[in-house]
Amino acid sequence: MIEVQNVSKQYILSKQQKKELETNKASVFAVNNVSLTCTPGKVFSLLGANGAGKTTVLRMISTILKPTQGIILVGGESVIDNPEKVRSKIGFLTGSTNLYDKLTPGEIVKYFADLYGLDKAIFEQRKDMLFTKLNIHQFSKKRIAQLSTGMKQKVSIARSMIHDPQIVIFDEPTSGLDVITAHSIIELIQQCKAEGKTIIFSSHIMSEVELLCDDLAIISKGNLIYNDSMHNFKQAYQHQSLTEAFIAIVKSNSPKLTAAH
Amino acid sequence: MNTIFTVLAKELKVTLRDKRTLISAIILPSLVIPLLMFGVTKLQKSLIDKASDKQLKIAMVGTPPLFSTTFNDPKFKLVSNVDVEDGRRAIQADSLDAVVEFPADFSEKIKNMQSGTVNLYYKSTNMMLYNRISEKIDSVKVGILKERVKQLNISEEAFLPIAIAKVDIASPKEQIGKMVGGFLPYIFIIFCFMGCMYPAIELITGEKEKGTMETLLTVPASRFKILTGKILAISIVGLSAALMTIIGMVVALKLLPDIPPAFLNILNDMVTPRFVIMLFAMLFPLSIFFAGFLSALVIRAKTFKEAQSLVTPMTFVIIIPALIATLPGVELGWQTSLIPVLNIALATKEIIAGTINMLQYAAVVISLVVLALLAAYVSYKQFSRESMVLQ
Repeated sequence: MIEVQNVSKQYILSKQQKKELETNKASVFAVNNVSLTCTPGKVFSLLGANGAGKTTVLRMISTILKPTQGIILVGGESVIDNPEKVRSKIGFLTGSTNLYDKLTPGEIVKYFADLYGLDKAIFEQRKDMLFTKLNIHQFSKKRIAQLSTGMKQKVSIARSMIHDPQIVIFDEPTSGLDVITAHSIIELIQQCKAEGKTIIFSSHIMSEVELLCDDLAIISKGNLIYNDSMHNFKQAYQHQSLTEAFIAIVKSNSPKLTAAH
Repeated sequence: MNTIFTVLAKELKVTLRDKRTLISAIILPSLVIPLLMFGVTKLQKSLIDKASDKQLKIAMVGTPPLFSTTFNDPKFKLVSNVDVEDGRRAIQADSLDAVVEFPADFSEKIKNMQSGTVNLYYKSTNMMLYNRISEKIDSVKVGILKERVKQLNISEEAFLPIAIAKVDIASPKEQIGKMVGGFLPYIFIIFCFMGCMYPAIELITGEKEKGTMETLLTVPASRFKILTGKILAISIVGLSAALMTIIGMVVALKLLPDIPPAFLNILNDMVTPRFVIMLFAMLFPLSIFFAGFLSALVIRAKTFKEAQSLVTPMTFVIIIPALIATLPGVELGWQTSLIPVLNIALATKEIIAGTINMLQYAAVVISLVVLALLAAYVSYKQFSRESMVLQ
């Protein structure tokens, strides 16, 4: 389970940043008083326009960023007090295939397995299962620099799932990917859900959200403006498509939120 | 410790697969001294041979009988009917090498046991010319001197009232140590720094730029351990570059022709386990210092290019103290033993010469260790800042 309670992320602005943002304020909130809960066996979608604060929330959950205020519990562990324990429970995947060009898929997965402290026998078993499922065996000895984007994303999936995490964080996992590779990610999310994992993912692609998510939250300019189940959302906006409803919610909340800043 | 070794092993693997690092840390350092020694020696020899064998075109003005046959040599070509002014113009136009002018009173002065002046017009850029012509004139001068000694019926020693007998107490090892010892650390310090440069950019800024840093920060390892693995990898590459420079020099001296056996014996005496251990004890903290310093610097950059522009000027900051150590009169003392880079360069010079003061050596090692820890700490503080590690 992921529990986010009244979490904010505030940045102190440098002189240069004040100039760029054309503001006299000493600080800005990238995320302001956000609360949400992701439960096991369900997919939680975090929606929002570019720069809304989705990635900041996900980075705070995965302990890359520290919240300025509020509490985040991941699998019962605090991201502030026990960040390493939190990290051992999570798998983190983004759409940009962040891999080491000079290593092979086998070497990358081994590197991360070692960092997760995986036992050798378990590693071999997990690696074999993931490589078979994702068809990585055929290019497992090639260097990443020689692989296509689709192949790289498969390696990224194997890398993020090698330790069989109970909590999976997907930050725009399909952005910029071709249809086939994007589909393999969708399948992965569905499988994680079937295995009872806790899943949170951010996306701009409404069809994916509609297909996958059980709960959703909309974030705009750092503020949470909607947080409910997909079922309730559909009931409330039954005459609109998801995209139309999303735009309507963001537009209707924007002026209030700007004033709050 | 496992995490540190996991990161270290991976970083070394990535680094050794990078051509730029291989060239700057292994190939270039091991070849630079052999190439320098071989190339410079060969070039110097060939230039001197060429200048010595070249036929010099000279014009003689007012030649006295004493010099009528002095330049009858195939390596000289005498040009006749040239006055001084024509000769100067010809030298300027490179159609003549020199004019040797004997003033009208030259023979008279020689006859009266006075000094006769020979005016030599030439370009100082013409290598070896002065030596070759003065050698010929000196051969006549010696003859005149002997004749005068005979006429005056005195001993030749009358013209040499004082003679200095030099007794050099410095051992050959000390002499060569002070000579080579100044040059060697200058080279290996620079290569140690350059060896750290590319891995630091690749392993710190490169990870930020490619986005792999974000993924790495989601594993259950502390930032301290991740950074320690990275700094160790960077310093190992820098250390290898420095060691390759030394190995390159030793191999070159042993394999190159024309190295005097006496010099080789001194070299064998010099490269002892003690020398290697003492050098390593200084080089290891130096490479950690470079790795920590460079990591703290390149972590500020968002791209590889930006990191390069931050690091390149630092090469000069390192070169200056290393260069100062090569200057005569700059010795290892209590103050210089605390100045980074300069201290290791001076201490190496003393170790090679066999004149190192062990207390001062200890001060050098301790100051380098303190500096290395400080650089690593600053780097860790930077690495702990969110704004530094994320794009």
